Amino acid sequence: MKLRDMRKALDGKEISSKELTKAYLENIKKYDDKLECYITVTEEGALAQAEKAQAVIDSGEAQSLTGIPLAVKDNICTEGVKTTCSSKILESFVPPYNATVMEKLNSQSIVMLGKTSMDEFAMGGSTQTSAFKKTKNPYNVDCVPGGSSGGSAAAVAADLAPAALGSDTGGSIRQPSAFCGVTGIKPTYSRVSRYGLVAFASSLDQIGPIAKNSYDCGLILNAICGFDPHDGTSSKLEVPDFTAKIGQSVKGMKIALPKEFFADGIDDEVRSSVLKAADEYKAMGAELVECSMPSLKYAVPCYYLLACAEAASNLSRYDGIKYGHRTPKADSYEELIIKSRSEGFGEEVKRRILLGNYCLSSGYYDAYYRKALALRQLIREQYNAIFEKCDVILTPTTPAVAYSPEKTADPVEMYQADICTVTVNIAGLPAVSTPCGYDKNGMPIGLSIIGRKFDEQTVLQVSDAYEQGFMPVAPKL
Amino acid sequence: MDTNLVNYLAELSKLEFSQDELSKLSTEMTDIISLMDTIKEIDVTYDDLKDNHNVYLGDIRKDAAAPSMPTSKVLQNAVNTNNCFVVPKVVE
Repeated sequence: MKLRDMRKALDGKEISSKELTKAYLENIKKYDDKLECYITVTEEGALAQAEKAQAVIDSGEAQSLTGIPLAVKDNICTEGVKTTCSSKILESFVPPYNATVMEKLNSQSIVMLGKTSMDEFAMGGSTQTSAFKKTKNPYNVDCVPGGSSGGSAAAVAADLAPAALGSDTGGSIRQPSAFCGVTGIKPTYSRVSRYGLVAFASSLDQIGPIAKNSYDCGLILNAICGFDPHDGTSSKLEVPDFTAKIGQSVKGMKIALPKEFFADGIDDEVRSSVLKAADEYKAMGAELVECSMPSLKYAVPCYYLLACAEAASNLSRYDGIKYGHRTPKADSYEELIIKSRSEGFGEEVKRRILLGNYCLSSGYYDAYYRKALALRQLIREQYNAIFEKCDVILTPTTPAVAYSPEKTADPVEMYQADICTVTVNIAGLPAVSTPCGYDKNGMPIGLSIIGRKFDEQTVLQVSDAYEQGFMPVAPKL
Repeated sequence: MDTNLVNYLAELSKLEFSQDELSKLSTEMTDIISLMDTIKEIDVTYDDLKDNHNVYLGDIRKDAAAPSMPTSKVLQNAVNTNNCFVVPKVVE
């Protein structure tokens, strides 16, 4: 059921918030052992929240998300509810405060179903680096759901939640959305407050929604965006209604297709599916504009150098003292920190901390970190040049469809698979992924619409236009 | 990347590894750095001024006193507490 239909059913008293919540909790009980989407299911809290929400609905003061159940990625702080980041180091961490997005959602009386699994500290694209739940893809449980917001995307695809919050540092909302056949948007950097989002790479991280379609994503964006005094980087720009342009024609719109995103390395079925979608936009009256983004070749190393440098710094806060895993084996202060961190972090997190400290070290800083900063400026310039002539950019979300967990063993191969998504974070742009087809094995394929800064409205308008003519296939569980 | 350099980075990162882990990391980090080295092909220079033109000092929140989080909440996730954060003895 879509959020828009849920709102009507709740307001029309066809269903109560408690009945709706129970239906999703039933689905979780039935399928989550198989899919492993959730780290924590907050059944008791959800039912209590549903009762409170119903009172708001009954009083006639419901807002767009009142009484609607949602799942939340486990790196978003929820007061009194464990927030693990899928890491042993935060296995028992119970935040003493709510992230701003949770305060905003709670002010609308949403119902939180639970906290979803992810790659440890959002570092990965498979949800297989999770220390707790290695989520499966609902379309084929022998494949990964993508990541890092894999638990959120799989939960939405399998109807274990109607929508969910994810976070996106290098594609972590869009890539799992593509792998699981759902829609997810990474908002413009600074649109959504990062206060209470466990930090990975502060200049790249953004919270965003994953849902069944663009309209639902717009509804959730309406609720979570806006300036926050707790996050100095959050934007003071007015928050528009992100659903306002949905339904408007794309006739006359210029859609850019940068050739590098369709080059060798992109799976044939993915390429042809996205190009077919481009033809459909043309049939709707949009103009397709071929263009180039030469810097794409350097995007993956640029991203990993910046993200890991920031991660090395951000993750230095885990010392086993104030919160998080504390080793019982230490005799000295130094030993306490080293052993707590070494026992608590997983392999991929450690690799990224090492890479971050490498590129920030004396002798390597200019050659790697500063060069990556220069490349970030170049990538931004090349996006700006495209947006001078075009309204949005169309690309594949991923080079290939979901793969088996065995493929995640090679870190370099995994990093290279982020080629289609990382430039959006590097440039701070908004981008959505929505399904545009299925490969010969029935695995979902996603297209991405990238927009100008703060132009989420157009991004959602364009993705919705495609969705209107697309018939999604539900996974068979 | 040899194991000595991995060891040095581990020291900077406050991490420790066994000999087997060091050897494995040495191979993995060599491959990762080789991917990172792609950026050496292109000649670009970072312009410090370009990244900072959107920061306005007026946007900074006022330095006003506000209620702090209660000590019990601050300490709720610490393993070893005595109404404060407890660490092994640092000064003899």
